[in-house]
Amino acid sequence: MIAMTQLRVGERAKIVDLSQVSNLVKRRLLDMGVTEGSEICLKCTMPLGGPFMIENYGQCVGIRRNEAKNIQVKPL
Amino acid sequence: MMHVALVGNPNTGKTSLFNQLTGTYEYVGNWSGVTVEKKVGVLRSKKAKMIDLPGVYSLHPMSRDERVVTQFLLTEPFDEILNIVDASQLERNLLLTVQLLEFGKPLTVALNMVDVAERRGIFIDQAKLAEALRVPVVPVIARTGKGCDRIEHTLLEKVLEQTEPFTLFYGEAMERAIERFIAAWGTEEQFPVRWLAIQFYEGNSYVREYVAEKLPEATWRSLYEQAEKEVQQAEQTPLDQLIYERRRSFVREVIEQSVQRQKIARVTVTDRIDAVVTNKYVGIPLFLLAMYILFQLTFDWLGAPLSDLLDAFFAGPLTDFVTAMLEAIGASEFIRALVVDGIIAGVGGVLVFVPQIFILFFFISFLEDSGYMARVALVMDRLMEAVGLNGKAFIPLIIGFGCNVPGVMAARTIEQPRERLMTMLLTPLMSCSARLPVYALFVGAFFAAHQAIIVLFLYVLGVSLALILAKLFSLTILKEEASVFVVELPPYRMPQWQALWRSTWDKGKGFVKKAGTFIFGGSVAIWLLSYVGPHGINVNMDDSFLAMIGGVLAPLLAPLGFGTWQAGAALLTGFLAKEVVVSTMNIIYHAPDVESLQGLMASHFTALSAFSFMVFVLLYVPCLATVATIYKETGSRKWTMFSMSYALALAYIVSLAIYQFGSLLGF
Repeated sequence: MIAMTQLRVGERAKIVDLSQVSNLVKRRLLDMGVTEGSEICLKCTMPLGGPFMIENYGQCVGIRRNEAKNIQVKPL
Repeated sequence: MMHVALVGNPNTGKTSLFNQLTGTYEYVGNWSGVTVEKKVGVLRSKKAKMIDLPGVYSLHPMSRDERVVTQFLLTEPFDEILNIVDASQLERNLLLTVQLLEFGKPLTVALNMVDVAERRGIFIDQAKLAEALRVPVVPVIARTGKGCDRIEHTLLEKVLEQTEPFTLFYGEAMERAIERFIAAWGTEEQFPVRWLAIQFYEGNSYVREYVAEKLPEATWRSLYEQAEKEVQQAEQTPLDQLIYERRRSFVREVIEQSVQRQKIARVTVTDRIDAVVTNKYVGIPLFLLAMYILFQLTFDWLGAPLSDLLDAFFAGPLTDFVTAMLEAIGASEFIRALVVDGIIAGVGGVLVFVPQIFILFFFISFLEDSGYMARVALVMDRLMEAVGLNGKAFIPLIIGFGCNVPGVMAARTIEQPRERLMTMLLTPLMSCSARLPVYALFVGAFFAAHQAIIVLFLYVLGVSLALILAKLFSLTILKEEASVFVVELPPYRMPQWQALWRSTWDKGKGFVKKAGTFIFGGSVAIWLLSYVGPHGINVNMDDSFLAMIGGVLAPLLAPLGFGTWQAGAALLTGFLAKEVVVSTMNIIYHAPDVESLQGLMASHFTALSAFSFMVFVLLYVPCLATVATIYKETGSRKWTMFSMSYALALAYIVSLAIYQFGSLLGF
């Protein structure tokens, strides 16, 4: 199990733990169907500590690096 | 007449469907903040009204526009719901559908983007989906309007039959809590009290306020706490999570029954575009390039020649024709002066910029409809985070380039109240299209060789000051909450010409309308004030009332380099709408067209004072319409006053610095 920030661009992983993520962000991710057990793919990262773009069943979501750091994933 | 509420997730083609069903001109957007207000249209058959609500993921509101939907359900009368569902994102969309089904009104599902789903290997059996949800499911293609006849037919038929309300079983502990709530509530409502109970336990903030108005605080608090405790004991999960999970497992069952999946691994067009547009290294340069091209097209390549043509028409044939007409009917000198020097000069001076403004709005619409705006939020988030905002705040700022009013309203999609307020306060620093006529006038007169670069500088100045102030505000007066950022990046879509033209026209028509009302009236008033003085009518303009009013401000403006009564009067009237500054100048300097006005101004301004004046116009105060919008959106007199006073102070300081330093350097 690693933090999402340790994934390489293009790598796929399964979300294992969202409990450390701030409430507001977790709610939004839930709204978009991104939960524990969801399969994601890291699409790209923005420079200088900028946000991450992840894909989940064909939809893309942007989140901040410091939130991604708190998301535990298992690479597939 | 029957009322149908249109509800759905953001980016599902909801507004397109609304336009197809109602045939009215509506604003279409691929950015989730576009539908900021409730819009009502009439179905093509004229048998029902349709209400377009903002796109929401859930009824549990996180941002201001999401509150609108829950508020609508609870307080407005309507007969049925049309729920638009994106077939390619069925699970997420159906989570909302469940909440709507629980509300108990007749519901029809419009299944959109079936083609997109099939390309991703998702095949939906519509009959089985309808059976599982026990509501009609109609496939549509919102972009082309295919399937809309069937929707209309189903909607009109639907209201006749009474279906049993949909109920989902949430587990013993939760069900007991729901029953306790219903008993405590006591009365019957227009909607199932069960729905209210579930939303209440889920933590829906709007519903909680609604409940608190009827039940005593002790009652609803103990209801909630007891439910929390019992559910925790029985299921070992928090209330809201339990509710979410039960809904999700229902939705997954429905999908299991009605969807066939094939593994199709293919790179979509969106993937390919995103590989470049959101690339780590070229993302930001590409955005800046896009902005550069936008401004070049608007001001230089396309807009300027068109404006020149229009200007030549107003100054030449139109003025000659009107003068000849007035002479022919024997109008008095007063009327001739009013029409030619007042109305044509004032209104024409502003209308000349219609081409540029429409081009700008066209490109903003293009950015919205194509899906690029959400990427801008992603690309710019790092910068915005540094100043205490998030990437989403960048979209209201870009929309603000067109007009500050929709910019301020677009801030509704920002979840954190602090960030939203800050975005609303800073959006007026974006140089809207109404300020463009002022720049065009001055750069034409004083910076003919460097027009584009000077105008670009003003835009950049507005953005830079907004960022600096954001940092300042988040360090001082608005520092409580941390900033949050989650953004959905919808697939790219090639905007349709028709939809683009509609939304361009929708945004641009306000400007033309303003020319016919505000600016027309303002021009007449200003001309009259310049024609009449304490010593009678048709006075020398320096002895007119306008000169007296403007003269009061002149000494204050002198340190900024434009201490004339003309500048004072123009700025004062510019509060109505910024383009009135140009109308006023046209009237004051008695210029028949922009070219001769520019010649005349050279004797009242130097290049430096003209520059200082432009900066002042950029910053000095949001226009009347924007102030009204800020007041409506913040609901606070204090913040509205603040938005005006900080802008005025900022404008004064920056212009003063520019003029004084510029003078020292010998410009």
